[in-house]
Amino acid sequence: MGRIGITLKMFDNGGQIRIIEAFLAISVMFSALVLTAPMSSTPDLEKQGTLKKIGTQVLIKLDNNGTLGKLIEGGNWTALKQSMDLFLPAGVFYNMTIYDENMQRVNTQEVSNSNQEGSEAVVIQYLCATQSSDTHFYTIKLQLAWPK
Amino acid sequence: MPASSIDTFLACSIMIVLVLSAIVSTSNTLRPSMDELLHRNDAERFQQLAQHLLLYKGAPTNWGSLCDVVPDSLGLADSASSQPYQLDIDKVSRLNSYNIYSLSYSQLWQSFSVSDASFRVEIKTLFNLSTSLISTTSGVNETTYQFEVYAEKSGTPVLAYLHSYVVVRDYVNNFASSTSSNGHSSILVTIPNSLNGTAILLTFAKAESNSQIVAYDVCTFRHNSSEPSPNRTFTRLNPLNYVLNVTFTYPSEEVLKTQVFTYNYNFSLIEKNRSAQTAEYYIPQLLDASPMLLVITGLNQSSSFVEWSSYPQVPLEIGTDFDESTNGAKTVSFSYIVTINLALYEIVTKWGGLASP
Repeated sequence: MGRIGITLKMFDNGGQIRIIEAFLAISVMFSALVLTAPMSSTPDLEKQGTLKKIGTQVLIKLDNNGTLGKLIEGGNWTALKQSMDLFLPAGVFYNMTIYDENMQRVNTQEVSNSNQEGSEAVVIQYLCATQSSDTHFYTIKLQLAWPK
Repeated sequence: MPASSIDTFLACSIMIVLVLSAIVSTSNTLRPSMDELLHRNDAERFQQLAQHLLLYKGAPTNWGSLCDVVPDSLGLADSASSQPYQLDIDKVSRLNSYNIYSLSYSQLWQSFSVSDASFRVEIKTLFNLSTSLISTTSGVNETTYQFEVYAEKSGTPVLAYLHSYVVVRDYVNNFASSTSSNGHSSILVTIPNSLNGTAILLTFAKAESNSQIVAYDVCTFRHNSSEPSPNRTFTRLNPLNYVLNVTFTYPSEEVLKTQVFTYNYNFSLIEKNRSAQTAEYYIPQLLDASPMLLVITGLNQSSSFVEWSSYPQVPLEIGTDFDESTNGAKTVSFSYIVTINLALYEIVTKWGGLASP
């Protein structure tokens, strides 16, 4: 016990400063890592990528035999909504807006199954050409989101 | 020992301890992010594998219709089609374990040749149709059965046109109706009392919004007879390459009629071969966006039976059961709309690592 007391008395001020310096340096580094980790979190790109692929595939399938163009030309928004309800997996929110060649909105009714407010939505743009004798082009903007 | 040496030694020790603590804490903090990065790559890879399964024709490209061939390389796309996500009716049917030509998951996994991934395939119609018998009214000459039909997807009612067929022995009748806005419909079926035996009601539902979206349901009931036996009691129906192979359970069975039903059509099948234990019938290639229902009626001694199978044989599920997996590995699932013989179906593929069959 007496020997330890003698040893502690032998510490000089320079050594103590080094200890404090090292402690502070490590604390600063660690704090920086801990504080910046939450800030670096990004949107869930995996889920968004999956949604984009689902939406694109659904539009391609719906357009495969001209059904999509026919529904738009006929203004059959109820049938278009029912088709989207059947094609999309359960739980996916969607909102579809259709524009003509002059980028004027065509759909007079909502083609949507929910209010997506606050959800992280992805937007898919799809060009649909009708298979009628006088071909028309429509730009479809499809917003998709998972429930929060 | 000089005081400065002890001082430096202690300072260095404390620094090392602090640095090590910082490294451990940092790695713990960053581990979730690192894991997420690794799994993100897995998900992308599994999605590519799912697309490969659906867009690739496999090798040989017509492996589905060759009943004794296990593919060297697995792919479900229709070899005769240039459209994406168009699946082969026979390749799909060979995923169903009720077909005697089906492949086991082990064979599929080996053919797919991706040793570090396990998968599951589920194919079903885009909406569900259920039929239930709710009342029976017996008259002098005929009996009337009332059925309740419900069309829905995830609890949401589906507006659909209905076409039903009733079959007893060699008697066939059909009825058309549609579901109301709540997805329900009622069907009245009248069968003459001169008949008796197991009866079957086949109901096809075509979505009003899209004629390629068709679901079906089959309801077996008794007509002046004892309770019907479960399907596949008397025969096993194995459609492949537009030929229906029938395997009889009992040697004394007699076939009354073999038919194919779709939403729009109904034909008797032409016999190709017949032996004591098996028979084969040609299945016509119908241009109808509808699943085919193959129905055989017959007699086993004095009692009549009705058995059926769909072609393509969906719904089906094959592969690893990820729900029961306890290894904690992340699984991902991808849903696609596919075309099989003009009709649309939903295919869900689930993927995970580690487990092998």
